[in-house]
Amino acid sequence: MDDGTSTSGGVGKLTSMLRRDYKECLRLIETQLKSCDGMCEYPLYVKGLILRGQGKVQEALELFQAATLLNPSNHANLKQVGKCLFLLGKHSASIDVLDEAMLCARREDWEIQHNKGLCFMFLKEYEKALEAFQTANSIQRHDSTFVEMGKIYTATGDLKRAIEVYLEALEFSPDNPELLTTVGLLYLRDGENFKAFEYLGNSLTRDPRNPKTILAAGSVIQDHSDMDVALVKYRVAAVKTPNSAQLWNNIGMCFFGKARHVAAIACLKRSLYLDPFQWITAHNLGLVFMHTTQYASAFHYLSTSINLKPSFAASYMYLAIVLSRLEDAESAVAAYEKALQLDPDDPVCHLNFASTLHNIGERERARAQFQSYTILCSRMTSDERRALMETCAELHTQVSKMLQVN
Amino acid sequence: MASPAFLAMSRFRRRRYEECVDLCSEILAENPYDKAIWLLKTQALTAMTFIDDSDLEELGIADAVMDDNATASMPRPGTSLNGDNASGKGSSLDRVMRPMSNAGRPNSGFVRPSTQNGMRPGTGETPGSRAALESAMRKTGSSRPGTSRPVTALGRHVRLGTASMRAESDGPFIDVSRMDLQKYAHRPTLARALCEFLLYHDHNARKALELAAEATSACNFEDWFWKSRLGKCYYLLGLYRDAEQQFKSSLRTQQSVDTFLDLGKVYLRLDQPQNALDAYAQALEAFPGSTAVLTAKARTYEMMRDGDQSLRAFKDVLRHDPSHVEAIASLGAHYFYSDQPEIALRFYRRLLEITQSTESASGSARSYASTELWNNVALCCFHSGQYDMTMRCFENALASADDSNMADVWFNVGHVGVSLGDLGFAYQCFKVAVSIDPQHVEAYNNLGVLEVRKGNQEDAAADFAQARSAGSFAYEPCFNGALLAYKRGDFPTSLRLAEASRVLFSDHPETLELVEMLRAKLV
Repeated sequence: MDDGTSTSGGVGKLTSMLRRDYKECLRLIETQLKSCDGMCEYPLYVKGLILRGQGKVQEALELFQAATLLNPSNHANLKQVGKCLFLLGKHSASIDVLDEAMLCARREDWEIQHNKGLCFMFLKEYEKALEAFQTANSIQRHDSTFVEMGKIYTATGDLKRAIEVYLEALEFSPDNPELLTTVGLLYLRDGENFKAFEYLGNSLTRDPRNPKTILAAGSVIQDHSDMDVALVKYRVAAVKTPNSAQLWNNIGMCFFGKARHVAAIACLKRSLYLDPFQWITAHNLGLVFMHTTQYASAFHYLSTSINLKPSFAASYMYLAIVLSRLEDAESAVAAYEKALQLDPDDPVCHLNFASTLHNIGERERARAQFQSYTILCSRMTSDERRALMETCAELHTQVSKMLQVN
Repeated sequence: MASPAFLAMSRFRRRRYEECVDLCSEILAENPYDKAIWLLKTQALTAMTFIDDSDLEELGIADAVMDDNATASMPRPGTSLNGDNASGKGSSLDRVMRPMSNAGRPNSGFVRPSTQNGMRPGTGETPGSRAALESAMRKTGSSRPGTSRPVTALGRHVRLGTASMRAESDGPFIDVSRMDLQKYAHRPTLARALCEFLLYHDHNARKALELAAEATSACNFEDWFWKSRLGKCYYLLGLYRDAEQQFKSSLRTQQSVDTFLDLGKVYLRLDQPQNALDAYAQALEAFPGSTAVLTAKARTYEMMRDGDQSLRAFKDVLRHDPSHVEAIASLGAHYFYSDQPEIALRFYRRLLEITQSTESASGSARSYASTELWNNVALCCFHSGQYDMTMRCFENALASADDSNMADVWFNVGHVGVSLGDLGFAYQCFKVAVSIDPQHVEAYNNLGVLEVRKGNQEDAAADFAQARSAGSFAYEPCFNGALLAYKRGDFPTSLRLAEASRVLFSDHPETLELVEMLRAKLV
């Protein structure tokens, strides 16, 4: 085979590959491989790339290995072997190959480091993974590397660091809607609603139909009791993901906020039908039923919620309220105690407990609960106290009157 | 002592066909040439084995695989029964809301032969392909009830034919092969009875066709009866175009509900549901309020996955016949799957009343379909918040269940367990379900999901694989398996499964997202 045909074959291959005409490309490769008895490195490499793109990773791996045998000094081949091993889930083998590739490579390569980081991530060796990602970034900065780093920090619960990483990535590519959404979501988890909304809004101006962003932005709007605006947003998302349990949950709570209980129950039930494992939906449904004074149904859903998530104190408190309405004082007291055991610093729970205790005639204990409630209140800032009074001022005056009079 | 001939006729009118046939045989033994008695016996025998053939029957394996009647392989939306598997969106036939039967069609509220096996083999397969044949064979072999299909469409008729032959001890009553059909063709009364006998008792479409052809030419092609019977014979022989012509010509002479229904059936077999609907519309003009036509219309819409239209038609049926079991059951299913379990409960309660009143009237110990009915009532009770009734209804369902439907009841009990958050109980229920029916796809899938929640990824993957091998109609095990493989870092497997899921449900947003992510990783 002379040089002329080899280059023209190579060019043909490249153009057909660029055109994504893989059939034609594979045909060219086959003719060339036949003419040189399979002893040609580049066609093997390209064929490997194509097969991997079609999901035949095992076959691609074999081709890249063959190419490596033909030319052991080319780090590109080794790099692809490593990537294939990673895709097949053989993470430690992949790391070995990538190390070898790094030795072969004359200059530093971010992709090798990035893939190594991914392997460490799957092996749950987060320190090493972070190290690899940082090296990758020092060679060349890529969004995907930042995203993976952010994922590690999120998984280890280090939200502040995760946000930092994403913000750094945003400096690099400020228009990436996915990054904006992720930052927004992280701020939301961190409780900084205002900042979260800023980023989510930014993301929405670039990609107005992304259901994930809409859901997050909608929930912030909802928190500010602007139910109608939130519902308009959700309507856009519902076109794309009509069967999203979270979406129906939020829609249901919007209707609850507008005091349309029947619509709320229908939406929440649909959400629960789509994803029966959502404890928060069951909890919400319990709340709505409590408001419609259907205490038996409320009990049912609250107990479901507790079964699925036993560590959420508020569920126990609401369960206790429902039980006291169902006139099962003994269980109600037990539920209050469980709630306080999980979260002893919740003033509302103490207040409700005091009310229930008073109603069943245990004045001493009621007074003790009321006292711990007042202590907790006195520790609060004025803003917090105002927020608290907005929700339970009536109960507060009632209970204090009852206990004072006696 | 009444005259034996009169007694025989009286028994025929009282629908005591066996006694009638016995008496007729006695009379015929004395006088073999008594035409009146011969006619009576023929009619009695026909009536004994008569079946309502106005509904589309199941398709045999051979017909299903070598089906070349559908003209378009890629039909436009709304013009085919094989429609897009993602249609029905927004209505209660939405894939996500309503589970699939193992034919890959939305579960219907009422079991008919064609709802169980599907019109044609799976939607993702091209007719005639190897995969289609395999899936058709597997459906035959699987242990699920109601899935065993005959090899050809005529298969069921042949089976019925042999069954009715066996019942006669001293040879067949009428030996058609030795008959001079031409002679009979000129005696209209006898010929009609004989034709019906050939169709419904002997299931010998070829001979019936011969007779009908003779008879129709004997009356100058002017008798609607013979033309419609010719159509029926052609239909049974698989000559659908000829059948269509005969039915149409018959309708021109004389309109009748039966002929309209038969014509619709031909169109459905040819995969032209719009034409069938046109035929039904004509029929409704001529016979307004005919429940048979309205039911056929509703069924056709349901097969086309047009939930709203089907609902409207079923409501029409109920307006004309308030105790139409199929309409009540279908409406119940519709309301259940569109988040209105309270209304569904009312329909099922009505059904329960109907079955119980017929039960007490007939005095039989076992009422029909009561397991499924109790099961549905239980689910409706549970979803509408009547918790005290739920378990009692399930107990009723289990008490009357047999091997064919017990697994489904346990599966539903398991679902209640999931909804209560009692996952241990749910796990046990699903285990019981698969122990009764090792082919229960949904139960395996849900076991897998519970295993994932427990953190046993290996077991979960095995459960999903089991679910996939048990049935190829559900996308859930494919998608769940893909997601699990993705989380474990096994991307090729994940891509394979995600693609499989996309074939089964092309509009599932989560599947599409996963495929996109995987493609980005692999390049």
